Amino acid sequence: MADNTLLMVGTAKGLFLLQNDGNGKWSLDGPHFAGRAVYSAFYDDRKGRNEMWAGPVSWHFGAELVKSTDMGKTWDAPEKMRVKMPKPTKKSLENIWQIAPGSDADTLYVGVAPAALFESHDRGETFQLNKGLWSHPHRKKWNPGFGGLCLHTIVTDAKNPDDIKIAISTGGVYQTADGGQEWQVTNTGVKAYFMPNQYPEFGQCVHKIARHPKKKNLFFLQNHHGVYKSTDGAVTWKEIETGLPSNFGFGLTVSDNGSAFIVPLQADGQRFTPEGKLRVYRTRDEGKSWEPLTKGLPQKHTYEVILRDAVASTGNNIFLGTKNGKLFGSMDDGDSWKMIEGSLPEICCVKAYTL
Amino acid sequence: MSITVYLSGHLKSYTRGETQASLDADFATVGETLDSLWEVYPALRDRILNEQGEIRQHVNIFVGSDDVKRLKGLDTALMSNELHIFNAVSGG
Repeated sequence: MADNTLLMVGTAKGLFLLQNDGNGKWSLDGPHFAGRAVYSAFYDDRKGRNEMWAGPVSWHFGAELVKSTDMGKTWDAPEKMRVKMPKPTKKSLENIWQIAPGSDADTLYVGVAPAALFESHDRGETFQLNKGLWSHPHRKKWNPGFGGLCLHTIVTDAKNPDDIKIAISTGGVYQTADGGQEWQVTNTGVKAYFMPNQYPEFGQCVHKIARHPKKKNLFFLQNHHGVYKSTDGAVTWKEIETGLPSNFGFGLTVSDNGSAFIVPLQADGQRFTPEGKLRVYRTRDEGKSWEPLTKGLPQKHTYEVILRDAVASTGNNIFLGTKNGKLFGSMDDGDSWKMIEGSLPEICCVKAYTL
Repeated sequence: MSITVYLSGHLKSYTRGETQASLDADFATVGETLDSLWEVYPALRDRILNEQGEIRQHVNIFVGSDDVKRLKGLDTALMSNELHIFNAVSGG
């Protein structure tokens, strides 16, 4: 096992922090926010700071963005919640789905339900609703999926602060080239089989998008039925499904090697791993072919569900968490896997960092 | 009149560990009482009310034994010297 990997594992019952000791053994700390669900977490080491962010949601008392400056030993709970829907929106925050760094060290983005983007340019001291997206004419026509109407994916460009891409269920992929003033819809080629017009301008249930680490314009997309890639900066999309047992799934990550990983589930109406086997599928040729990865993963009587933020990577270390509370890791770009934990609560998100 | 507000134990992290508060004033409504409660425990407001100023869906407030959501919500007249704030039994 590689040294110095931090995992932030959000579950339906709290956040767990795991670190390995370099000898294959993992320590576990938690649950933090016991009893609250955690769908988002982020470790910010920019400028040498060690700040952890998380978005625990109490189904009674609401969702809030909290911070730790001591690697999770303590967490703050501001009197006034940091992320709040402005009163004129006539909406209330339902959940926090994504916490993402901006290209400069002081910027943070937060994706929430109801589908909205918040931004902070002062290290998280204050957050503002991105009005460009909120006022987009499509917004009132977006529809919630089973997980609510959520803005669940934010992809920023480390070298270009104006380039932000997001994904919404259901709405699809949108992106801005001016830092969030204007947003363009970019779902061309992505199917919405559940609509009369199966290739609409928007309304797709895009589950996750991810950028290739070295090819700026190469993206992968896991759809609500459909696996795609884009070579033009997430503008147009092409199916890449050869060799997959199913094109349904949620999670997606791309390692430093440029390998893309997904975990196919049987189908929309049968959301579990096909044939009773937990198989991660990897492509190393940008989607021309996919290969199943099974070494160390259960291949019998295994009916797992892997949610949209429960597949993660740091370097070439890949991790996935299941709704049955199993956490698996691979330290060799997916070639072999080990179960790290087997009985956590339902895993909602996995975030991986190299310390 | 002195009003006692009884708070769910789930809220202790926002009340410095306290589960009740005594408020000395003449309040006409539940909303007025809560406005006074927020002065004692400011962090409670965002946890009890949503951004639209409404009682959160899974929070129940009782005046005496009456659920204010079945009456006039925050405009319910304060007809008891006891207010109870509970989390609903919903959950998974």
